[in-house]
Amino acid sequence: MSGEKPILAISNLHVGIEGTEILKGIDITIPSGEIHAIMGRNGSGKTTAANVIMGHPSYDIEDGDVQLSGESILDLEPWERSRSGVFLSFQYPQAVPGLQVGNFLRKSVSSVRGDDAAKGAAFREDLKNAMSKLNIPSSFLSRYVNDGFSGGEKKRFEILQMMLLKPRLAVLDETDSGLDIDGIRTVAEGINEVVRGTENGALIITHYSRILEHVQPDRIHVMIGGKIVASGGPGLASLLEENGYDWLEERVAEGDVFE
Amino acid sequence: MDSSSEYLSLEEPHRAVHLWRYTPWKRVHPTGDTSDIPEGVGSPRLSLKCIEGDVPEGVRIIHGTTPIEGLPESDATTSSFMRAITQESSWTVEVDPGFSPGKTVILEIEVDSPISAAHVCLKIGRHANFELVTLVKGDCEWLGLLRTGSTGEGSNTSDIVVNVLDGGTLLRVDAIHIERDSQVKAGTISSGSETTKSDLRYRMGEPGGNLNVLGSILSSEDMSLDHHIEIHHDAPETFSRLDWHSACGGNSKTVGTGMLRVAKGSRGADAAQLFQNLLISETAQADSIPELEVSENEVVGCGHGTASGPVDEDQLFYLGTRGLSTEQAKSMLIAAFLNSTLTEMGSHEMHDWLVGILSDDLDALGI
Repeated sequence: MSGEKPILAISNLHVGIEGTEILKGIDITIPSGEIHAIMGRNGSGKTTAANVIMGHPSYDIEDGDVQLSGESILDLEPWERSRSGVFLSFQYPQAVPGLQVGNFLRKSVSSVRGDDAAKGAAFREDLKNAMSKLNIPSSFLSRYVNDGFSGGEKKRFEILQMMLLKPRLAVLDETDSGLDIDGIRTVAEGINEVVRGTENGALIITHYSRILEHVQPDRIHVMIGGKIVASGGPGLASLLEENGYDWLEERVAEGDVFE
Repeated sequence: MDSSSEYLSLEEPHRAVHLWRYTPWKRVHPTGDTSDIPEGVGSPRLSLKCIEGDVPEGVRIIHGTTPIEGLPESDATTSSFMRAITQESSWTVEVDPGFSPGKTVILEIEVDSPISAAHVCLKIGRHANFELVTLVKGDCEWLGLLRTGSTGEGSNTSDIVVNVLDGGTLLRVDAIHIERDSQVKAGTISSGSETTKSDLRYRMGEPGGNLNVLGSILSSEDMSLDHHIEIHHDAPETFSRLDWHSACGGNSKTVGTGMLRVAKGSRGADAAQLFQNLLISETAQADSIPELEVSENEVVGCGHGTASGPVDEDQLFYLGTRGLSTEQAKSMLIAAFLNSTLTEMGSHEMHDWLVGILSDDLDALGI
């Protein structure tokens, strides 16, 4: 652990929506410089966790805390969290017809990293390099945000934004879904670039172990029914890939929660 | 019968008529006394410009009485009134056949008399490839703008009207004929005038006509903007789309009424209308009423739709996660909403220029 305080500390987080409890007391701590992953089936609460970290207004925080570098962020608006260094890569990014990618990137970089970061040759160079790494053509800049994008283009665009915004904590919600093998490798390289060798952190939410082969997370958490039921090293992903979630669900049903 | 006598012989139009359902004639008449044809109506100043450089040869504006043709489908009240009031204030914008300047031409109409009126006749030559922006600006109590004319066979025209008047009332009547194989983008950008009443009519009377009607309407404060758009498919293999975006703030009200008429014999006609309203404030109102009259069975398709709602919460959240404050995000989403039709109106050069004009208005509104 390279920093004194973890980049992300989620403690006893209970979250509901319209009276239904979805997250039932989860705890995750990501030290600086580490990449963690949450795996789990559909409906287990993974996306809810991502949205709550980012401050989605639809959810009710019933108990617990979410801290970024030791400071609670629960009272912050989404844009304030973004400016504090939190980034969410969406599973289904919103299309905004009429909003040009180039203008959007410049304005978001200016908002998060300051006006100077969005000006002049340095920004253009940054943008060019990131687009080159992600195999995104320059014509992309004149398109409208996620409007008519293929599934793969949307995911690459999310990673492009992450690389430009340089977040302290990147939360990636099913960024690997809809990507082919080359796309996964490209996206994984982007994640590694933002986190590895830095004091930043990342939380990858996924169903599959494919992206984790390229990112090599430091720790994997398995979520079932709104709870973290197992945490372990990278081997846990292989175990899930080979055996699925059934055996784990049976163990949980029997009362096992294991580390 | 001259046009003044014709107007005075007519009954005041009833509000049950589609065109006058939301904004009655009395409200947009220059004096409010519908039995009156005001005298001493001023003429605005008209001039041609380009965004950059000189106006190229091949397009000119001619002052003088222009025979007014192409109004038979227009409302009798407005057509006779407008003919009467624009008799001394008539111009023709003439575009040579094959004219293709590669740059946007601006027709500036500047008003400074309390009550002004102008008739502009467009004569777009065959196979011309031409972008015209008519910029209506200045300060007046009332402006009547009558636009007639035709786009020549095989021509490709962007015909955009921008209303940035400082208050007052604008009554606009368009009657444009789209000739064989002619492609037209007819755009309306409106962020001026307290009250606007537009009656915009497009007729495709020969095969191969292709029309895109686009609207970017921004209303605020107590503005009342009422646009009626009629598209007539009177020939086979004609195509039209209407995409009308209105962003409504303050206590303003926007109305969009569409009438799509496909005549018997217009086989292969393909037409659709979509009105979208973005409600920026809780007290703004937007009404959209698209209507269809299809008399031909063998059409590719004829459809219409309308959607109204506030700024999308999911889009707001998405922009918020990229560091944009709620106010910044709202402003960007409103601009994007208007831009998505603006961008379809013509070239990059024209688009950039138009965005500049709307951006100023968005900033001024403090949205």
